[in-house]
Amino acid sequence: MVSNELKRGTAELAILSVLERQPLHGYEISRRIEHDSGGALRFTLAALYPLLYRMENRGWVRGEWETSDSGRRRRCYKLLPRGRKMLAPLRAQWADLFRAMRRVARVNHA
Amino acid sequence: MPDWLAYVNDHLGRLPLSETESLQVREELAAHLEDNYLSLRAQGVSELDAARLVCERVPSWQELHRDILAAKSEAFMQNRVTQLWIPGLVTLFGSAGLLAIFEIAGLRPLVIRPHDPYSFVLYFPWLFTLPLFGALGAYLSLRARAHGLAVHCAALFPALVMAAALLALLLVVLILRDYGALRVVATGFAVFMLNWFFLPGFFLFMGDLLLQLVMKRRGVAS
Repeated sequence: MVSNELKRGTAELAILSVLERQPLHGYEISRRIEHDSGGALRFTLAALYPLLYRMENRGWVRGEWETSDSGRRRRCYKLLPRGRKMLAPLRAQWADLFRAMRRVARVNHA
Repeated sequence: MPDWLAYVNDHLGRLPLSETESLQVREELAAHLEDNYLSLRAQGVSELDAARLVCERVPSWQELHRDILAAKSEAFMQNRVTQLWIPGLVTLFGSAGLLAIFEIAGLRPLVIRPHDPYSFVLYFPWLFTLPLFGALGAYLSLRARAHGLAVHCAALFPALVMAAALLALLLVVLILRDYGALRVVATGFAVFMLNWFFLPGFFLFMGDLLLQLVMKRRGVAS
C-alpha cells in the first residue's frame, strides 16, 4: 500500500515542478500535471487545494488573486525561493527511491 | 452556466475561518469547478453532462471541508508560534535575564515602605530598559505578519506571565483552602500587580507603541 506520506511527496514534487516553469492557478496546475504525466497522475480538487494551502503555509508557494481580461478572478500560484530550494532534495529522494525499486523489483523503463 | 459559487456554498458548509479567508477558499473552489465545466463544454460535452461530471469530481464535501480546515489550522498553529510565542518568550527571557544581571551587579531597586511586607519595589534601571524589550517583542511579532492583539500580547508577554502566575497562585490557595495564605496573597495582590504587572506593562507598552508608530511612519506596518 502506498503510504499517505509517499502520496503527498509525489504530489508536492509534481506541483513544485510545474510551478517551476511558470505561475499557474489551481485548475491549470491539475491539468498540467495530468497532461505531463500522460494521464497517470490526476489531482482531484479535494486533493489539490488542501495541499496547496499547506505548501503556502510553509512558504513554498504564494497564491495571488488575478483578474483575467474576461473579468474572471483566479488565484495564481507562484513558486517562492523556499519552494525552489525544496525541489533539488525532493528530486534526489525520488531518484533514490526509483533506483532502489528498480533493483528490488527489477522494474525497467518501458 | 451553473452558479458554482452558490454550489460550493451549499456543499462546503461553514468554515470557521475569517470571513475574508472563507470567501477566498469558496471563490477559489468555485473557480476551479467553473474552469473544469468550461473545459468540458469546449470538448463538446453537453451542459447537463458537463455539470454532472464536474459535480462528481468532489466525491465527499465533508472530507474536503475537513482537509481544508486541517491545512488552515496548521497555518494557524504555525502563526501562533511565530507571531506570539517566539517573540513573547524572547521578550520574557531577555527582560528577566537583564533583571538577573542587574541583581548580580548589585543594582538595588527603590523600595517604598521597606519595613512593610507589602512594599512597593521599583526596579527603576530595569524598568527603563523595558520599552526596548516591548519594542523587540512587537517587532518580531510584526515581522511574522501579526497584527492587532497578537502584537500587543507579544510585547507585554513578561507582564502577562507575571499576572497569570499570581492568578494561578490565588487559584491554588483557593483550591487548597489555605485561608491564611489566601489572606496574604489577596492582600499583596494589588501591590504585586502594581510591581510586576502594571508598571512593567506600562514600560513594555511604551516600547510597543513607539515601535508601531515608527514602523507606520516608515510605511512598514500594515
